[in-house]
Amino acid sequence: MSASLAVPRISMRSALSTLVVLLASVPLIYVVIHSGQLELAEWANLWSARLPGLLFNTLSLAILVALGSFTLGVSSAWLITRREFVGRRVATWLMILPLTIPTYVFAHIYTSLTEREGWLGLLWAGIFGDDVPNPELYNVFGAAFVLSIAGFSYVFLLVSDALTRSRVDIEEAARLHGLTPRQVFWKVSLPMLRPAIAAGLALVVLHVLSDFGAVSMLRYQTFTLSIYLQMSGRFDFQAAAGLSLVLVALSLTFLILERFFRDRQRYYSAAQAQRTKRRAATKVELTFIWSWLGLITTFAFALPVAWMLVWTWEAWQQSLITAEFWGYVQNSLVISVAAATLATVAALPVALFHARLRNKISQSYLHLASIGFVLPGPVIALGILSFVLSMLPWIYGTMFVLMLAMLIRFLPLAVQAQEASVQQLSPSIEEAGRSLGATPWENLTRIVIPVLRTGLVSAWVLVFIDTLKELPATLLLRPTGFDTLPVRIWVEASEEMLELAAPSALMLMLGTLPVLWFLMRQHDAATK
Amino acid sequence: MKRGLITFIALWVMAFSSQLFAEELIVYSGRSDKFIKPVVKVFTEKTGIKVVLHTGSSTALLNKLKLEGERTSADLYISNDAGNLQKGAELGLFQPMDSKLVGVIPDKLRAKDNSWVGLSARARVLVVNTKDHSADFVKSVFNLADPRLKGKLAITHSSNESYIAGATVYLRANNEEVVKSWLSGMKANVGSSVFNKHSKIVKAVASGRKAIGLVNHYYIYRHLAKHPDAPIKIVLPDQRKDDMGVAWNVAGAAIVKHSAKKKAANQLIEFMVSEEGQKLFANVNREYPARPGVPAAEKVPTRASYKVADVPMSDLGEYRGATLDIIESVGMP
Repeated sequence: MSASLAVPRISMRSALSTLVVLLASVPLIYVVIHSGQLELAEWANLWSARLPGLLFNTLSLAILVALGSFTLGVSSAWLITRREFVGRRVATWLMILPLTIPTYVFAHIYTSLTEREGWLGLLWAGIFGDDVPNPELYNVFGAAFVLSIAGFSYVFLLVSDALTRSRVDIEEAARLHGLTPRQVFWKVSLPMLRPAIAAGLALVVLHVLSDFGAVSMLRYQTFTLSIYLQMSGRFDFQAAAGLSLVLVALSLTFLILERFFRDRQRYYSAAQAQRTKRRAATKVELTFIWSWLGLITTFAFALPVAWMLVWTWEAWQQSLITAEFWGYVQNSLVISVAAATLATVAALPVALFHARLRNKISQSYLHLASIGFVLPGPVIALGILSFVLSMLPWIYGTMFVLMLAMLIRFLPLAVQAQEASVQQLSPSIEEAGRSLGATPWENLTRIVIPVLRTGLVSAWVLVFIDTLKELPATLLLRPTGFDTLPVRIWVEASEEMLELAAPSALMLMLGTLPVLWFLMRQHDAATK
Repeated sequence: MKRGLITFIALWVMAFSSQLFAEELIVYSGRSDKFIKPVVKVFTEKTGIKVVLHTGSSTALLNKLKLEGERTSADLYISNDAGNLQKGAELGLFQPMDSKLVGVIPDKLRAKDNSWVGLSARARVLVVNTKDHSADFVKSVFNLADPRLKGKLAITHSSNESYIAGATVYLRANNEEVVKSWLSGMKANVGSSVFNKHSKIVKAVASGRKAIGLVNHYYIYRHLAKHPDAPIKIVLPDQRKDDMGVAWNVAGAAIVKHSAKKKAANQLIEFMVSEEGQKLFANVNREYPARPGVPAAEKVPTRASYKVADVPMSDLGEYRGATLDIIESVGMP
């Protein structure tokens, strides 16, 4: 009897999730069709002329950013989860606050700070004299610096989570067997953290591969920037699609590697974890902890925010903050709220479908829903543009197109956030509801949604934050005259109007704060 | 809750699609808002036609126009670079204008078929530090390749549209070999250290960090307006008897082929080529009005006072690909 009850619901879910997954695949289909139009000779040309350089640039950037985020993320997570010290909670916050600043804002701010006349440039000249040229950011190290401080928070979050849950008894056993604390860290703690580190680094690397804003401001030629230039400078869509296909292959490799590491996680967390005890920090440790965390915060948050405040003040005094500015703020909020809601709703059937079936099909749906993560924003935007123009021309020029783009770009975030909590929903709970006479709708609203609440909220918040910061797809797909804060930052920054870019950047950061606070509170409640 | 959501979305869609039917012109603009707003403000006051500026990068907007085809909501396209305008004309995105309307602008500053019209011109000039005499020997842009300028030269990166346009003019006035060796020489002089903004070049020359830079003329006057005592001067290159003259580039406008409001679009073009519109359009950025007889901003060298390279602006689009190939083959940063 329970089988007959479950059948119609599964087909409903499968129908809905098929629809969502089909939508999500639109950009990939576009890329495949267009790169299929490339002649063999053109492929050969791309292969020999562009790919070696691009691969080298992209991979060396990815490796440097991975190293940078690893160093920053793991060290700060370890200090904060293993030592009790004054201001520990503040420190946790300081480590995630960089997430409120988009990479292109970091890039923009640091290029102006390191100019000869910028704060850091002046400091440099003060220390080393006028004759030593100050370091420039327009190279792989500059790009790696910017992307590391902008991305290490992901590693921090995942690793500190794993550290609070990790088994201290194993570490203690290792100490009893005569290992020094340093050996314990390298031989016991670190290997146990491997899945969390892998997941965090994969997230960071995927962001590097698809980053458009920072590399375009720093003019560092990665795949994404080259694809964009290929399309916009030379109008060569085929070559752009060909390059995108290579990028997809590259990103998929990373995703598979990450899955490989994550699947081993079960082994580590199988036993019931004993709560970690934090040891009170000694005076020396306290000095060290705060100098290190303070250094990170200075560059990843305090300096950029100080810059924003100074220039916003300047703009305020010149009364450059007009009614139009509040219009941009409103536009940004509207699209972010709409996209977050849409993505959360759309991800639900995919996650539920997988929870129920757990087979190859549902697994592949999950992968297909992740396309937004492996394709660069400009390519997703173009794919959606040509899809909408040929299939749904009547929605062209409306907010719907932009919402669709945000949905496809950030669906993976929503699905991943819900996937975890869906696992708590055993089929028997729903069946119990049905057998007690609940309609499918009641089942959904009274059982499924309350159980999934945490996952739904995280999904909403994550998509909200990323939509608020989204640049490349918005640039191409926004309705006419519909400017968001990132679009304004980009426009003003490319015209070098610092005073005008700063208030937008500041608003963007302030807009992210409340939802981030909400997410962290929920996260704390879950780990307590 | 679900119904509320649907209503919410429906309201938004309506709010935004209703904009399409209002009586207003939509301009895809690759020119800074700041320089175009004063012009459309006066236009709106005069005609009552509202103008919506959809600002972005010139090339990205051109792509958008191409993809949108007949579904575009754009009525006009404005770019700071003749290369982009010509590219759009080649792609068949624009509607040729009446020669009576745009005839007031010289032939060389508009498309052959009048599918776009130049509105203001910028000169590619040298900015020189007046205290540093090491670059005094420079009389031509080609002297910038001289090894004596190693470490003293400031140029932008090679994807800057003014840079590409300048190189295209030099290519048309000379030949591929000349441009190639010029670029190679400059590359040897600057290494990998190039600037991302023209205004930073002027700053660097003013502070004495660099001796000479290649910029559009108005950046020099913009800097002097803020810092009147800055030790910099303009040098107009290639003025000797057999020299090619200064490279010009124009900002201009075109009417989009699939615009549904051609009459209003023509009105805006008419205003922008009128003496009043020309003054407004060019002078906010200290450019040269494209229409002869309309004076440029004060202090800017008058256009009669120097020789301009004899290259039609439409060449900037037709030969952009060739220039990009040379830049890439040299590997300019």
